Amino acid sequence: MAFAVHHPGSVADAVALASRLGDSARFIAGGTDLVVQINHKRCAPHHLIDITRLGELAGIEETQCGVRIGALTTHKEIERHPSFQGALRGLVEAACVVGGHQVRNLGTIGGNIANASPAADVVVALLALGAEVSLVGSSGTRVMKLGELLIGPGRTARRNDELLTSVQIPKLSPMAGSAFVKAGRRKAMEISVVCVGACLVVDASGRCIDARIALGAVGPTVLRARGAEDALRGQRADRSAFKQAGQTAAAHCDPIGDVRASEQYRRLLVEVLVPRALARSLSRITEAKS
Amino acid sequence: MSRVRIALSINGECHELDIEPHWTLLHVLRNEIGLMGSKQNCLEAECGVCTVLLDGKAVISCILLAAMCPGREIVTIEGFGNPEHLHPLQHAFVAHGAVQCGYCIPGMILTAQSFLDEIGDRRPSREEIREAISGTLCRCTGYQKIVDAIAAHAAGRRGKRAQAHVC
Repeated sequence: MAFAVHHPGSVADAVALASRLGDSARFIAGGTDLVVQINHKRCAPHHLIDITRLGELAGIEETQCGVRIGALTTHKEIERHPSFQGALRGLVEAACVVGGHQVRNLGTIGGNIANASPAADVVVALLALGAEVSLVGSSGTRVMKLGELLIGPGRTARRNDELLTSVQIPKLSPMAGSAFVKAGRRKAMEISVVCVGACLVVDASGRCIDARIALGAVGPTVLRARGAEDALRGQRADRSAFKQAGQTAAAHCDPIGDVRASEQYRRLLVEVLVPRALARSLSRITEAKS
Repeated sequence: MSRVRIALSINGECHELDIEPHWTLLHVLRNEIGLMGSKQNCLEAECGVCTVLLDGKAVISCILLAAMCPGREIVTIEGFGNPEHLHPLQHAFVAHGAVQCGYCIPGMILTAQSFLDEIGDRRPSREEIREAISGTLCRCTGYQKIVDAIAAHAAGRRGKRAQAHVC
């Protein structure tokens, strides 16, 4: 375990450094995943590029198009920020179950995404909210849908010299609500056995106009339950439609059996948690109206 | 790998140190400075006994690289209170018999303080306190009295601040 730590003063410098050092370098922010990986010898970078001093990557900003979250935003900052207490509440529900408070004060949203765990709670919530990410590399800036970034367990479409700089959540309709629910083997400090993020949009008559359902820990990446989403559109948003969505999502997901749970148990959890997340999203819309 | 020179602010004092880049803050506190209050156990952010305050917020020091800490204010249990001048939160732990073997207590105290600072004057529920300390494990399983101590301290603190407003 031998590496050098670099402290670039700007995003441009950080990217130039990553480009020069190539595969032997990794960006580091909170380090709550990366340092554990290094200690367990799952990776052995020769250079760490410390991005925690880059003010350009900090802050949460409401724009005309939605909310822009800087990559250095910690889970705790998401939990406490007023922008996420309404329709985007699903993101808070995910952020506040990541590790303990001491991890949430360090771990960042950018690192959580780049780490690409198929069980990452915050990534599930973000996928349900239709988030996009911005990447800055030596050949310029690109914006991509979060779902396109995630390509495998621990793997993303991010090039090694590209720095994930921010996450954008598009503005939701006034008749939208979101939620996140998780099943673990204990209440706290737990990696999800299954987690579900949902975002629901209804019309004045209670019909579902749009739905996004994201599933964690039931496939090689966090994934969307598109079959269930399609089936919901145009239906009355009620218990029986949500139950049906849960069954469809359970049939189409791709879980493995491992030390935490069997494949069958994970499917059962999807079947139960999807309706729960949808019902909670709906109740948020109703609460906001009253 | 050659050592690098860094300056760390720990308990209000500046320490100039030559460190290996892979050393964690916990390693530096215990082995380079001799502050043994922050405990070493899981070394993978699971147990919380190594908790310190970084710019006032509770963080685990066992996976935090010391090389990333210059410019930040670090407070350990040694800087929080001492046997002659215990912090009121430490008094509450003593008064409620919350300390058993003691190994988790420095982390528990600093985790609780960070949580109380975060919620401001509001009085937390017992459930909230339990959730707040969920990242700090006590293997004596004495959580009940720890929660009692934090709740009592939070209630007293709130009373004092309310009085201060009246004056």
